[in-house]
Amino acid sequence: MYLRAIRNDVLRSKAISITTMLFVAAAAMLVALAATLVVNLSGAIDALMQRAQTPHFMQMHVGDLDRARLDAFAEAHASVADHQVLEFLNIDGAQFVFGSRSLAGSVQDNGLTVQSESFDFLLDLDGEVISVKDGEIYVPLTYLQDGSARIGERATVAGHTMTVAGPLRDSQMQPLLSSSKRFLVSHDDFEAIRPSGRVEYLIEFRLHDLAALSAFETAYTNAGLEANGPTLTYPLFRTVNGLADGLMIAVLLLVSALVIAIAFLCIRFTLLAKIEDDYREIGVMKAIGLRVSDIKRIYLAQYAALAAVGGLVGYALSFLFQGALLENIRLYLGESANASLAPVLGLVGVALVFVAIVAYVNGVLGRFRKVAPADAIRFGNAPKASPGRRRLRLTMNGLLGTNAFLGLQDVLARRNLYATMLVVLVLAAFIIIVPRNLHHTIASESFVSYMGVGDVDLRIDVTQAEDAAARVAEVATAIGNDADVARFVVLTTKAYRASLDDGSEGRITAELGDHSMFPITYASGRAPSSDDEIALSVMQASDLGKGVGDVLSLTIAGRERALTVSGTYSDVTNGGKTAKATFADETAEPMRSVIGAELTDPALLDAKAAEYAARFEFAKVSDLDEFIQQTYGSTIGAIGVASYAAIGVAVATTVLITLLFMRMLVAKDRHAIAVMKAFGFTNSDIRAQYLARSAFVLVIGILVGTLLANTLGEALAGAVIASFGANSFAFVVDPAFAYLWSPLLMLLATLIATVAGTWDAGRIRVAENLRE
Amino acid sequence: MNTMIIAENVVKSFGQGTERRNVLDGVSVDIAAGDFVAIMGPSGSGKSTLLFALSGMDAVDGGRVVFDGVDLSQLSDDALADVRRRRMGFVFQQPTLLRNLSVLDNIILPSMRDGRKRARQIREKARILMETTGIAELEARDVTQASGGQLQRVGICRALMSDPAVIFGDEPTGALNSTASNEIMALLADIHRSGTTIVLVTHDPKVATRAERVLFILDGRITGEHLAGAHDASREDLRVREGALSGWLTEMGI
Ligand SMILES: Nc1ncnc2c1ncn2[C@@H]1O[C@H](COP(=O)(O)OP(=O)(O)OP(=O)(O)O)[C@@H](O)[C@H]1O
Ligand SMILES: [Mg+2]
Repeated sequence: MYLRAIRNDVLRSKAISITTMLFVAAAAMLVALAATLVVNLSGAIDALMQRAQTPHFMQMHVGDLDRARLDAFAEAHASVADHQVLEFLNIDGAQFVFGSRSLAGSVQDNGLTVQSESFDFLLDLDGEVISVKDGEIYVPLTYLQDGSARIGERATVAGHTMTVAGPLRDSQMQPLLSSSKRFLVSHDDFEAIRPSGRVEYLIEFRLHDLAALSAFETAYTNAGLEANGPTLTYPLFRTVNGLADGLMIAVLLLVSALVIAIAFLCIRFTLLAKIEDDYREIGVMKAIGLRVSDIKRIYLAQYAALAAVGGLVGYALSFLFQGALLENIRLYLGESANASLAPVLGLVGVALVFVAIVAYVNGVLGRFRKVAPADAIRFGNAPKASPGRRRLRLTMNGLLGTNAFLGLQDVLARRNLYATMLVVLVLAAFIIIVPRNLHHTIASESFVSYMGVGDVDLRIDVTQAEDAAARVAEVATAIGNDADVARFVVLTTKAYRASLDDGSEGRITAELGDHSMFPITYASGRAPSSDDEIALSVMQASDLGKGVGDVLSLTIAGRERALTVSGTYSDVTNGGKTAKATFADETAEPMRSVIGAELTDPALLDAKAAEYAARFEFAKVSDLDEFIQQTYGSTIGAIGVASYAAIGVAVATTVLITLLFMRMLVAKDRHAIAVMKAFGFTNSDIRAQYLARSAFVLVIGILVGTLLANTLGEALAGAVIASFGANSFAFVVDPAFAYLWSPLLMLLATLIATVAGTWDAGRIRVAENLRE
Repeated sequence: MNTMIIAENVVKSFGQGTERRNVLDGVSVDIAAGDFVAIMGPSGSGKSTLLFALSGMDAVDGGRVVFDGVDLSQLSDDALADVRRRRMGFVFQQPTLLRNLSVLDNIILPSMRDGRKRARQIREKARILMETTGIAELEARDVTQASGGQLQRVGICRALMSDPAVIFGDEPTGALNSTASNEIMALLADIHRSGTTIVLVTHDPKVATRAERVLFILDGRITGEHLAGAHDASREDLRVREGALSGWLTEMGI
């Protein structure tokens, strides 16, 4: 009989059961999606890099190249399976014309290459090695996607006309984050265009065993071979390929964690409420000799069924959304080799959610042990945790109205129950504020300083060439004489040998110049301020095993000098291993130079950029906003959209949970409401009491949520940002939003939901609830 | 004597369609100010329903209830609440106290609704009432830490806070043993003597003995009335009244 009573109870609280199930379904779906994405992403990257035979080690180099010496080096090293030198013909973006559009606005280093013969192949969308015919040009997928080029269109590169034959997948340089893009042409076309470009060498190695990579890197450096450009390795390619989708997975996992938390909270508060409601029945069941485990099983079965149905629904739903989320991966990376594993892993994820829920319910049901049959039967409801403890006194209360007092009193008395709503509100505040802060931070101008680039208006890159020094001087003079330039700095990157602690030698590329003018943000320590200091990128520092205050030995102008590490910083440029120093050195060959300038009037930016671009054809002139926009624009946009979606989700969750919570409270409080009405409290009094309860919980929720969002949220967002390569991270908080709009939004959502949820209180008839 | 409550042909029905039946089937009764009325009758006869109708706690489906010259069916929910809070007091079989509040706070709760400025006077008054009802020591206690009889006194104190014109009681002693029951009834008799009208539902002849007027209700109709008149509450007087009442009850079929 009691068992049936409880079953009916679950059926009666349909709204709550369905909501709980929805959250379980959402959680299961997100977990399944995340699992599917992880499997597909890693599988697709592996498949792509496998088919393309991505090099394990690649050194970029400009200038003279001693092939015989390279061959000899490769011969001498048993770990080398294969090696080759590819040519990358760097051509100014403006020289690429598709139809009537050019790539002049592109911040990428665009260039031509021919298909490799042994490895590092460029692939078509079927994953096959492209064989290119004369007159054909294959275009990086991104350019076809963003409409820069169309298949079948006429393509003119430096005056040489070809036809766009199709897209190519590049296992190395595909993501927007990697700054070069390769176009594939035939040998004859390549040779025809060669005079219009500048050749950069890609010196590439495949090893027998990837484990030997770091030993090989050291050997290459120590051999003093060609190395004036960035060094890139297989793991780095892998990371960069996975970054954009990895970020999506990270966001998915974050959201699923929150949804799971909310599902748990739903379960917790319905269960607690039910235990309170059924207190008497539970007491009676115990009194007539049922064991706790018997009683538990009745409740557990309900939730297990709920979780199972929710889990399966969520799993089914995950197939619905999979296509859209996998589209990007499929397009850019291709099919995963182990795609068949994905549904299995998804199911495992859903099963884990199910098990977690059942275990959790079982834990909460442990409270049954505390039900004393005598109390349960005598009072019909749970006695207070500690009777007679300190409590607010109605009469001592001059500040609050009686209704507000009663609301507060109830919140304090049933802390356990309200804690659930509190946590939901905290989570909601968190979900509203963190993505929004993240977006605000990434979109802010200063953010770029987290990624190794100073906050300049105009940036002019001069890459290594025979007469680089003269060219840099030429640009610097022009800039210096320009009345519209407020200040500028010339930073020149040079390579040095470093003697490492283990006695071996490493190579460090250091950017020399004044680093205080356009400062970057340091993860630890500060910028180098004297000649015997050096700052290292985080990646470089961890590679060398050096931290702030450690001493590093560099060979500068033939002399060994000890430099103190003054700080570390995040860097996403040039393969991520860089250093910054201020010492002067005229002997080493410059690898590249950057001239950064700030204009007196930012409005002149476009004009100035165009002017310098036209005047110094050998240099790459970019305005920083453009650079950020092209490199991170789509990511910033996506996070912006995500932040608005998050606000929607959080507000909807707040309204839904508050509504349910209030309805449940009203149902539980029927008797108390009837008592108060019998003694002359009006419906608006009752509503005011519920509003007061919500308001108290809300105030605490918003305070804690905002606080957490700005501390824990910052750390969490920092972890996401770290995947961009930025290690130190602080929110740039949008105060109007975080401290005004977000609380107002939540206030509105909660109060509306409370009023709607407690409307029924007016319909509670005294006579029906107090009848003897 | 002026009439406090007039019920005219009151009908109250429950249920839907063919199931629908009149639980109160044309009840008419006048209750004078200062009356002490007991309502008796078998279980399910409509006693509680009548009490809720008389106090305006439940709307009626036919006829009307006039309290102090005001037709209760014309009043809004909130106006009814105001009437209950200011002019009526209630005592139920179960204590109907709020668990979250202390004993004192339970007593002063309805008065604090409008009288926050007079908190001190309200508290003083509650203390005096607790003193007179013999529960002074409960003041700071939790409602779960009191006996059934004590809780009933708490309920009476709460009912008395507004100096009500009338106190309604639905089996106020129904959950108590005979000693506690006697004490509560003596208390109510005292309250009545001080001028308060009392209307209570009971099935216990001992309780009804204290009333001056006993109404008998059967299947939603008032089928009999016993006028016991005023009494002096002496043991002797009570015994005589009890004898008369039980004779009448036998007549009524109990
Ligand atoms: N809300 C309701 N819905 C349907 N029927 C009801 C409702 N309330 C009361 N009744 C019915 O009305 C009749 C009278 O109920 P009432 O509570 O007035 O009886 P009572 O005389 O107080 O009985 P008792 O002595 O057992 O308390 C009963 O048959 C009861 O089943
Ligand atoms: Mg009754």
